[in-house]
Amino acid sequence: MIEKDKLITQLTVDELLEILNLLEKSDFDFLRLEAGDIKLTVGKKGYHGGDDESPQASSARPPASSQPDLKVETKAPETSGTQRAATAEAPVVKEGTVPIVAPMVGTFYTTPEPGAPPFVKTGDSVAASTTVGLIEVMKVFNAVTSRVNGIIVETCVENGQFVEYGQTLFLVKPPAH
Amino acid sequence: MDISRVLVANRGEIALRVIKACRDLGIESVVAVSEADRESLPARMADRAVCIGPARSSESYLKIDAIIAAALGTKSNAVHPGYGFLAEEPEFAEACAKHGLRFIGPRADSIRQMGNKLAARSLASEYGIPVVPGSKKAANVNQALAAAEEVGLPVLLKAAAGGGGRGIKIVNEASELQRAFETSAAEARAAFGDETLYIERYLPNARHIEVQVLGDQFGSAIHVGERDCSLQRRYQKVVEEAPAYSIPDPLRKKIRKAAVTIAKNIRYENAGTVEFILDQDNSQFYFLEMNTRIQVEHPVTEMITGIDLVKEQISIADGQRLLFKEADIHFSGHAIECRITAESPQHGFRPYPGRIHEWRPPEGTDIRIDSHCFRGYSVPPFYDSLLAKLIVRGVDRKEAIGRMQQALAAFRVDGIDTTIPFLRFLLNQPDYLAGEVNTGWVENQLEQFAFNLRE
Repeated sequence: MIEKDKLITQLTVDELLEILNLLEKSDFDFLRLEAGDIKLTVGKKGYHGGDDESPQASSARPPASSQPDLKVETKAPETSGTQRAATAEAPVVKEGTVPIVAPMVGTFYTTPEPGAPPFVKTGDSVAASTTVGLIEVMKVFNAVTSRVNGIIVETCVENGQFVEYGQTLFLVKPPAH
Repeated sequence: MDISRVLVANRGEIALRVIKACRDLGIESVVAVSEADRESLPARMADRAVCIGPARSSESYLKIDAIIAAALGTKSNAVHPGYGFLAEEPEFAEACAKHGLRFIGPRADSIRQMGNKLAARSLASEYGIPVVPGSKKAANVNQALAAAEEVGLPVLLKAAAGGGGRGIKIVNEASELQRAFETSAAEARAAFGDETLYIERYLPNARHIEVQVLGDQFGSAIHVGERDCSLQRRYQKVVEEAPAYSIPDPLRKKIRKAAVTIAKNIRYENAGTVEFILDQDNSQFYFLEMNTRIQVEHPVTEMITGIDLVKEQISIADGQRLLFKEADIHFSGHAIECRITAESPQHGFRPYPGRIHEWRPPEGTDIRIDSHCFRGYSVPPFYDSLLAKLIVRGVDRKEAIGRMQQALAAFRVDGIDTTIPFLRFLLNQPDYLAGEVNTGWVENQLEQFAFNLRE
């Protein structure tokens, strides 16, 4: 069984599997465990989270496995508030919008230089070739282009945030046909 | 320990193996995954998973800047490369060092020194260790021909930058040499970007014996025993055992000592493996190459010594001294590992990716499974076909073989074809039971296996 006061990072694989088994047999849809900076959220298939703090919680996960969904979040003390511990997830998509996703892993910048106005902001219209930000990988800055036409309805990341490959940066509403 | 968060720059069973070792040490782990591995077991089991690129390895697992960005972005302070991918790229070890990340492996200069097989051969010779008779470098067909005549046919053509069996060709007759030379050079150029070839005498009745070594940052180096990996198909290991059986103790000592000599002389840090070939016709052993990484078959050594080699790797990279001396290591029993891959032995071993509908590995005392597979997992077509390593231990070789036969028989996998039927066949052959095998033995069994299938 799981010992009290034990960190999530110290849970063994067997213990995690035991949690999953217990949840699967129970009538509950999800289980959330919080201890200090560490959170464990385990949900059954079809559960898309209700964690209002997590930007990934509402993501539509691909139904890739028959196992219950598992998400372990570890927030390290030195990690700033903007850098959430996220598991690698498929992009967030809201109905009627298309995402602009990060073409590479790195640090995302919304502005061409510190203090300058952002390349784009919510409400702006973008063309496929519009530069929407920069991603820095080992001191090399790469321009990120929109690749879609439409109006930005949501900015999903902050200036200076670490982004994963495929992470949603902006949501764009394409023009009506 | 200074290392507090490790970025795992690999996938599959070895990523999971590193994550478990981190967890045991109370260290956090972050796994860098490609888009195809977002839902993999390592992604679920690590404290965090970061997607670094698309499925294709050249855009993800082989991309140094993406991995460094993922390590820095997650505030990891060490990187474990696993095996394959970037594990033996000196540029990767250097990039880690440059960005203040501890590389859990040897120094870049050791990787470079041993990466060129020709350079490694001359280094071993310098230390008085025998190498297989052969040439320094065969720049063209004529040089290769001269070298082949000097060492005596049959010979092996090998790539200087080689590894993983690529670029190796057996040449039985002088007339075959030209064609073999051209294909080998082309393969070497495609695989390693370096077409330098050399020639080695082919030993038809040899065993593959390798020694596990550990070295720390203070110049200490020890061996952790040896393994016999003579069962190979297309120069890929299929079954591995520890200890090496049926070699007399004085010879075993000599081989172990040769491995430690190399490790000490190059001030090798971290876990490595020195490979030898043992000619059974004259009981002479020869240095083959050194692998500067943790190896797939490391569990057989762990099973008979109780040492966790991956934890040792992390502790060495952290700057700690080796925790034990050779005299402290106790070897107990016999261990065997079978590599179970997603290949169809019924169809010429063609790769067999797809969804696993049923996955029931055997359980029991002295049975260990290192695997990232589970029921419902879809084996992606982009990577190595290794599904699981099934490892057993017995008090002696006989008991270990019996346990392995039962474990293989109990292993249920549905949905994809695996090499389990072929492994069961191999482990039932009288030659295998008697230990009368060599590095060509598995290839010689293929015909009988195919015949049995038709019956």
